[in-house]
Order: sequence, then C-alpha cells, then structure tokens
Amino acid sequence: MAAAAAPAAAGGQASGSAGLRGWLRSAYRFATDRNDFRRNLLVNLGLFAAGVWVARNLTDIDLMAPQPVP
Amino acid sequence: MGNVLGPAAPRAPRRGEPLGSPGSFDELHRQCKEVFPQQMEGVKLIINKTLSSHFQVTHTVHMSTLGPSSYRFNATFVGDRQLSPTEAFPTLVGDMDNSGSLNAQVLHLLAERLRIKAVFQTHQAKFVTWQFDGEYRGDDCTATLTLGNPDLLGESVILVAHFLQSITSRLVLGGEMVYHRRPGEEGAILTLAGKYTAQKWVATLNVGYGGAHASYYHRANEQVQVGVELEANTRLQDTTFAFGYQLNLPQANMVFRGEPGAAGATRQPWRWPDPHCAPHPTPAGLLDSNWSVGGVLEKKLPPLPVTLALGAFLNHWKNRFHCGFSVIVG
Repeated sequence: MAAAAAPAAAGGQASGSAGLRGWLRSAYRFATDRNDFRRNLLVNLGLFAAGVWVARNLTDIDLMAPQPVP
Repeated sequence: MGNVLGPAAPRAPRRGEPLGSPGSFDELHRQCKEVFPQQMEGVKLIINKTLSSHFQVTHTVHMSTLGPSSYRFNATFVGDRQLSPTEAFPTLVGDMDNSGSLNAQVLHLLAERLRIKAVFQTHQAKFVTWQFDGEYRGDDCTATLTLGNPDLLGESVILVAHFLQSITSRLVLGGEMVYHRRPGEEGAILTLAGKYTAQKWVATLNVGYGGAHASYYHRANEQVQVGVELEANTRLQDTTFAFGYQLNLPQANMVFRGEPGAAGATRQPWRWPDPHCAPHPTPAGLLDSNWSVGGVLEKKLPPLPVTLALGAFLNHWKNRFHCGFSVIVG
C-alpha cells in the first residue's frame, strides 16, 4: 500500500508542476499577445494609472527657479 | 441672562450652494484634449485680419510634405450678444479650401437658455454633413438634441440626445443616446458619462456598449499642465493610451490662450476664436501607446504680431518621422 502511494504522490506532484508550468505558459502567451484586446486593455489601464500617478506626484516643477549653485 | 432652555431664535433659511451649469457634453474631455499638441507637418502660414469688431478673415497656406498643398479662406462674423469672452451670438463661420470644399457653421441664441447650431460640410460640390443642434442650458443641467444628416427621401437619420446634470458643485453625471436609422437597419447606443472637478484636477469617464473613454487633467502649477487619456473601442477591438504635458512660460512670451474665466470675474473683452492655432502655449509633449512621441513649441515674437510654432512627431513602431513649422500673423 505504501509502495502504491509513492508513485501516486509522485504523479500528483508531476501533474501539479505541469499544471503550474501550463498556467505560467498561458500567462506568458497572454502577456505577449499584442492582438489580444483584453491584454491590451489591461496594459493600457496600467499605463493610465501610472500616468495619473506621475501627473499627481512628479509635475510640481518650478521652471523659473534659479539654477542650483555648485 | 435669558432663557437658555427656551427655543432658539429661528435661523434664516440656508441658501443652497449654486451647482453651476455642467456645460456641453462635447466639452467633457476638452481640458485634457487641449493639453495634447496637434500634429504638424510641412510649412504653414496663417494670416489673421480683423476687419471690424464683428468680422474677421483668415488666410492659410499649407505647403505639405505628405499630400497636396492647399489654401484655405476663413471668414467669421459675430453679433452683438456676448455671453462670455469666448461666446457671442449670432456667430457665422465659413471655411473654404482651394478645391471648393466648404465647412460652415451657424450658432444662434434663440432665448436666454436655448441655443441652436447648424453645421454644413461639403466635399467639393457634394454635401457630406448637414447637422442641426438644439441645446437647452439650465442652471444645473444641459440637454441637447442633434439631428445628423436627416434624409426624408432616403429614410435615414442619426439622432443624438445628451443630458448632463450637476449633482454637486464638483460632480456632473449624464448620458448620451445615439440612434441611427437606414433602410434595412436601425440601432441605438447608450453611453453614461461622469465628470469630477477638483481644485487642481479634473477626471472624466464615458462608458457605454461601444467602449470607454477616460481622461485625467492635472494643473500642477501656473506653468505645468498634464493630461492622461485612455480610449477603448469594443467594436474595433482597439485601445489607446496617451500622456501629454504643457509648459507655460509667460516670462518668455509663451502666452496661454483659451483659458476660461473664473466665475464672478469682471467682464472681459470678447476674443476672436482662433480656427487654426491650437490654444496651448508651448512647449507641449505627447507620448502614446502607438509608440509615438512628439512635441510642439510656440513662441511669440514681440514686438511683431507674429507667433512661430515648431513641431516634430516620431512613430517608433512604424519608423516614421515628420516635422513642420508654422508662422501665425495677427
């Protein structure tokens, strides 16, 4: 019984890692498929959020401030 | 000492905070769009001549590097009824190019809160667009009905209805319904819209069956303005993102045009709308998801009534570059 359980556990681990590999593979395909509308929407949503963050945090610049003295 | 347990003196009724008119539906994203530079190519000469307080003409010569060169003539007439520095009624605008294509608009104020607009566009001798708008502007709401290309004989029409309501002094909600009809087909699309205006930023969102359009405008200080835009079209299965900024340096004769007056400001003289010059001082920059970067630099050249504009745009993905400059006189 213990001898039968070991290959079953090894098979389960193999199928688990194959499942994880398969998930990673499909996630990579999704992230690199430029023709996928949902992927492009997610990427551009992220860019929009990053653009809003930049606008709110990095744009308070005084262009006419004097140059710093070295 | 008085009767501290007695009923308090009746208070004067509190006046509700005025909500303000939400403006037009087409102008929801205007502040963000004005930050982005307009693409320039070739050489353009624009001469504005004000003939009287009611009449202005503009000549535009465009030497293009991408297509045929052209000449455009624009005439603008404004009436006596002035509502704001940028609104006067009636307004008649006519624009014609060297091939005979015409673009004409008539705006008129029928009543205190009711205004109408008619737009005609022709491509040489053939009418391409004929459109009629009616707009009602209330104290805290705006309703618009547009009839696009009505054709009784062909039984086709495009009907657009807009409604905007100020919920608070900062929040505006509304919607748009577009109905189109042609022989054999008809359909309607509903879009919901919302706009939140804070002291230094404005966020706007349109969501509907056809897609979504989100924009964020931020005024960092007197010199820097930033705009971020996202558009998603479910019909074309396409999304785009754009980031633009604008730098304003009045000390260097880079003057911002088209800035709306504050509520309660003193009456300002009416200013001619410029049909050709983008109402933003330079420099302005752009970066978008189509791998395009670009910028436009505008500078006044005092004491001459001349403005020089330089622009360049590069599309990394398609390996295309074009630049141009324009001289605006008057």
